[in-house]
Amino acid sequence: MSSQNSKVAYYPGCALEGTGSAYDRSTRAVGKALGLGIEELENWNCCGAMEVKNIDPKLQTYLSARNLSIAEKMGHTTVMAPCNGCYHNLKKAEYDLAHDLASVEVNERLSAKAGHAAYRPGKVTTIHALDWIRDAIGEDGIKARVRNSLSGLKIANYYGCMYTRPRHIFPEKDKGPGSESTSKPHFMDDLLAAAGAQNVDYPLKTACCGGAHTLSDSDTSTRLVLNLLTTAEACGADVIATECPTCHTGLEMHQARAEKVLGKKTTVKILYFTQLLGMALGLSARAVGVHENFSESRDLLREKGLG
Amino acid sequence: MPIHEKSLIRKENLVTHERLTLEGVDVSGDWSTFIQPRVITDYNEAMQDEIAALPGGEAIHRCWQCGSCTNACTINALNSDFNPRYWIYLIRIGLESELLRDKDIIWQCVSCNKCTYACPRDVNPEGVMKATAHWLELKGHTPPSPAMVFDEVFSEQVFEHGRIEDGRVLRRFFARTGQALRQDWLVAMVKGLVSRLPVSLLIRLGLATVIEPKTRGWGPARAAIAEYVAERHAADRRALSLPAEESKR
Repeated sequence: MSSQNSKVAYYPGCALEGTGSAYDRSTRAVGKALGLGIEELENWNCCGAMEVKNIDPKLQTYLSARNLSIAEKMGHTTVMAPCNGCYHNLKKAEYDLAHDLASVEVNERLSAKAGHAAYRPGKVTTIHALDWIRDAIGEDGIKARVRNSLSGLKIANYYGCMYTRPRHIFPEKDKGPGSESTSKPHFMDDLLAAAGAQNVDYPLKTACCGGAHTLSDSDTSTRLVLNLLTTAEACGADVIATECPTCHTGLEMHQARAEKVLGKKTTVKILYFTQLLGMALGLSARAVGVHENFSESRDLLREKGLG
Repeated sequence: MPIHEKSLIRKENLVTHERLTLEGVDVSGDWSTFIQPRVITDYNEAMQDEIAALPGGEAIHRCWQCGSCTNACTINALNSDFNPRYWIYLIRIGLESELLRDKDIIWQCVSCNKCTYACPRDVNPEGVMKATAHWLELKGHTPPSPAMVFDEVFSEQVFEHGRIEDGRVLRRFFARTGQALRQDWLVAMVKGLVSRLPVSLLIRLGLATVIEPKTRGWGPARAAIAEYVAERHAADRRALSLPAEESKR
């Protein structure tokens, strides 16, 4: 296993400072437990999330690229983003600035006016928290460090939309054995299996939770999420493991909403993969922020002897 | 024998005659149902170019009508009227009146990008959906959709401060769309969380709603973005032959 990512620039993004606080806490805790260094990007800004592109996509490219230029200035070659939205937008900025002259022109112009160096592709690349742990530690490394196996815990691994789509912005994926797949992603499955979990065969790994319209079209989001939850239960899962704060919060919110509005109660628990991994590494439930989740999972975790 | 394709024809376009004789032959009964002939003369020949001029719509001309987008679509699975392939067809031939029948659902695209993933022609159907929703609003066919209001509330905060605070986005969105913040399900969820969170964290979260998170030294970026946004708005309106808008602020 290469350790080139063992010291990376960390881009938490807005959600991890708000509703996704548990993801930030658990990512940092897992990094520390694994001895992986992270350095937070200095004075970062919002990547544009899923909203700014609807005002203007090139503006989103600029916002994301500004963060990449900060990483470059700090001397980093790798930015690690745990949030799927941030990860997607930074990857998209890398792609667009390497392939679309109009995007380059806007980025150069706005960067000059804003008074910082414009990001140019090639020097800094973005990875997901999954890549970070996988590249630096690997499955065997996780196996060797497990102190509290997840054995007996049935997990549906949910990757969402922005980790794999559209495929052209992820040139490193779909490269055969060892690489991530955009149609059947497996990095999260692999890491959690190494931590002892029993992954269920979940057919909706990359289905959509309606996160972009979680508040503006709540009824649609509730239907999409309810489908994800009931399918996970039908697959026998105790837990849905997430890797995105928007998906995670959407699943929690609409699980509550489906019960209140549609009278459909589901009991599957929702936890960030970093929370599960952290507990397997011997961290307490509190240290990985389980108390910060909207979805209450502590009874299940106690029952399974975790946290 | 009924014509079994009848279910595919809209009711208002079917004509059934009680008694009918055609060229001396009595066709009353099973053979007396016809599709209303229609002659379309009101094609909007500018529609494709206008939508292609808006961000996201650029590659609409590449579409071959294979239907991979609709087949992959998350929203189509919930509502079969949500049909990106058909809308792209209508836009390309300029059938505006037909597109307007679906004007109130086009904004519901959730940007899951399954269509863009599946498209063999790099049309970027997700972008076309956003461009079409914009076009409908700019032309005055639809009021700003809840999704557009959300995008604006969110983006305004990013442009202003460089970062967002999600509680503030939520409150402003609910205020601007005239919804009560105390929705049953939201209250139940927050109560559950508050009962578990330590006081120190609650104080920190509370403070974040008062002291907005900001990127330091954002002033020059804010000005550059504001200038660019104004430039883009003006360009979009020009592309749609709309009069220049008086400045909002």
